[in-house]
Amino acid sequence: MQLEIINLSKSFGTKEVLKNIDFTFESGKIYGLIGRNGVGKTTFFNSLNEDIDIDSGYFYLEDEYGRNRLDIKDIGYVISTPVVPEFLTAKEFLEFFLEINKDKIINKDINYYFNLVKISKEDQNKLLRDFSHGMKNKMQILINIISNPKIILLDEPLTSLDIVVQEDMKKLFKDLKKDHIIIFSTHILELAMDLCDEIVILNHKKLEQIEKRNLNTKKYKDKIIATLKDEKNA
Amino acid sequence: MLNTLLMSLKIDQTYSLNAFIYNLRKLPVFKDLVTEDIYKSKRLKQIIRIIVNIYALLKTVLLHFIYFLAIYFLAYLINKNALSKTFVHIYFLFTIIGFFINNKLLNTSSKKYFSIIIFQMNAKKFLQSYLVSNLFKYLALNILSFFIFNYYLNLSLNTIIILILLPFFMRIIGEALNIIFYKKYSYIWLNNYFLYFTILISILLLSLLPIKNIFVNDTLLFITLLLSIILSPIFIIYLCNVQDYKLIYKKLNTKNMVMSKDTSLAYSRQQMVEVKNKDINISNKKLKNKKGYDLFNTIFFERHKEILLRSAKKYSLVLGIIYVILIILSFNNGTAVKTISSFFFKNLGCFILIMYLINRGAIVTQAMFFNCDHAMLRYNFYREPKVLLNLFKKRLTTLIKVNLLPVFVIILGNSILIFLTIGNNILMYLLIALYIIALSIFFSVHYLVMYYLLQPYNSEMQMKRPSYSLISIITYIVCFYATGISLSYLKISVLGIIFTVIYSVIALYLVNKYSCRTFKIN
Repeated sequence: MQLEIINLSKSFGTKEVLKNIDFTFESGKIYGLIGRNGVGKTTFFNSLNEDIDIDSGYFYLEDEYGRNRLDIKDIGYVISTPVVPEFLTAKEFLEFFLEINKDKIINKDINYYFNLVKISKEDQNKLLRDFSHGMKNKMQILINIISNPKIILLDEPLTSLDIVVQEDMKKLFKDLKKDHIIIFSTHILELAMDLCDEIVILNHKKLEQIEKRNLNTKKYKDKIIATLKDEKNA
Repeated sequence: MLNTLLMSLKIDQTYSLNAFIYNLRKLPVFKDLVTEDIYKSKRLKQIIRIIVNIYALLKTVLLHFIYFLAIYFLAYLINKNALSKTFVHIYFLFTIIGFFINNKLLNTSSKKYFSIIIFQMNAKKFLQSYLVSNLFKYLALNILSFFIFNYYLNLSLNTIIILILLPFFMRIIGEALNIIFYKKYSYIWLNNYFLYFTILISILLLSLLPIKNIFVNDTLLFITLLLSIILSPIFIIYLCNVQDYKLIYKKLNTKNMVMSKDTSLAYSRQQMVEVKNKDINISNKKLKNKKGYDLFNTIFFERHKEILLRSAKKYSLVLGIIYVILIILSFNNGTAVKTISSFFFKNLGCFILIMYLINRGAIVTQAMFFNCDHAMLRYNFYREPKVLLNLFKKRLTTLIKVNLLPVFVIILGNSILIFLTIGNNILMYLLIALYIIALSIFFSVHYLVMYYLLQPYNSEMQMKRPSYSLISIITYIVCFYATGISLSYLKISVLGIIFTVIYSVIALYLVNKYSCRTFKIN
């Protein structure tokens, strides 16, 4: 499966953020999207997810059904600030979600899902309003995993989670990557290098894949930082 | 579609129910009585669900009755001799306003965001069921309202049937036209304020025609209904054929609305105190020779010119115009002279309400929190007693100064009016002027002290302290009833000044003593 991006451009007023981006993402890999603050990572995700109008560009998904224009139904987007219905309990939230999407979901065992993200029985009956940022994030990641979209966009998803859940999530993403295209944005280089199969840098309004070929971890890391710093010998 | 509707109702009900319980638990007595376990107790929730549903139903019916009552009242004001005809006329024109303004499909709400984006409901089915249920809800409400109100209106059955069916069919067309417009121009036409107000004002002006005994007649009503019925199937087919509801809805940028603004109230509060772009750059002249918190305070007030200086100027202008009219009236008009002079002798309590209304304290403290303290209070150095009190003093001085501009207009206007209607009375000029200044200072102190002692917002900018709201309401009620005070200018001025001095001394003492403990994020 491939996600093909052709000629993507997006500006805000006179400020160009993304310019003529051509890139192909493949399933079986987790892509770590790295870029300096304000460079346009979220804009890139919002463009793919059609949350904003783009100036130009096409997205194609090539899978067993052939090469077709990307449908927003194929995207699951975990945003950095989780938004959940505040006045539902976690259990109600998940029950409603499973009920609404019952045709798409095979496993309807609610306890399985709560175990997956380690939400205790006691917390399941709490209002989401009273959940911490990390707990809300868990719920957001959870429903995006349950709905099983072909492409999963993750905007800084793990930073607010505790270490145990972080490790579980990493394992989960690694299990999911076979049948999904996973693009993961983060500022934590170690996390990206630990979890991701490819590092893609958003720099100068373009996406650039950093080749790891023949480099050890230290040299690879130096190469990434040098590219981000715009050093010529990168 | 029925399943989607039922599901959406189920979520809605659960949401309102939990919100009700949550708010109930915030009340002092219920906090211990109702534990958090209630959210999982199905039986108890079932009982509360009935109460919440009855409340929601009553509220909807009551609001619709109020709408009818408002039209009835307007009809009474416009032409009480032809009340029924005027009612029909206004109802018809309001239906046309609804045709343009009611925008159930495209208006954004957290409910729609959760249903379409988070729960991943089929957007088309969801929005269609939402529209259909709304259409039938208002149909039922209109039937009920006419059933009751016709007791006073005595309209013929034919007219009532037309009036009940008209909004139903017109709204279908209106919704479709809104979508057509959005798809063609990529914005909701309601956001074009010029267009919006032109249409609104024109229709509102037309609704005044009954003053001249011109009414909408039965033929026009019938033709409009007939046209709507004939045309609506075309628009229903159009609405059914639109495929990209989800995309349209995403583009309306609902995520940002729901994300950072938990409640619409907090959102509107933030909107009110937003810094205007033109105020971001401050000329160096104004910041010259300023240091530390003095500089900090100056920057804050310069950046909030819109809600401070400019609005003070606007108030002064309006007050100025009112005084000029009163001054013109005072020439050669015996009744006006008599009324104005007796006002100064008997009704000076009115100034308490006027000064309350023009004081910017409430909104300025909101701006202080949303645009400054909300972030700064997270730093310990900002919460040091010395810093807090120093900044409090600077803020109070600036706030008093800002409020002085309209005060000056009032004092000048009053003095001229006194001179024209009562005669030259230096003691009166002086005492009333001091009284007005005292009131202005009182409200500035009051709001700022309340803010420092009862800081009511949490980090999400929601109001968290009932005591703050309670005191605000009490302040309003007291000011409102103060208009009835009938004391001589001598008594009310002296009392007003003494009260302000005592209040300010006590309030400042309390701030000095307690604000370090009370001024924090809830």
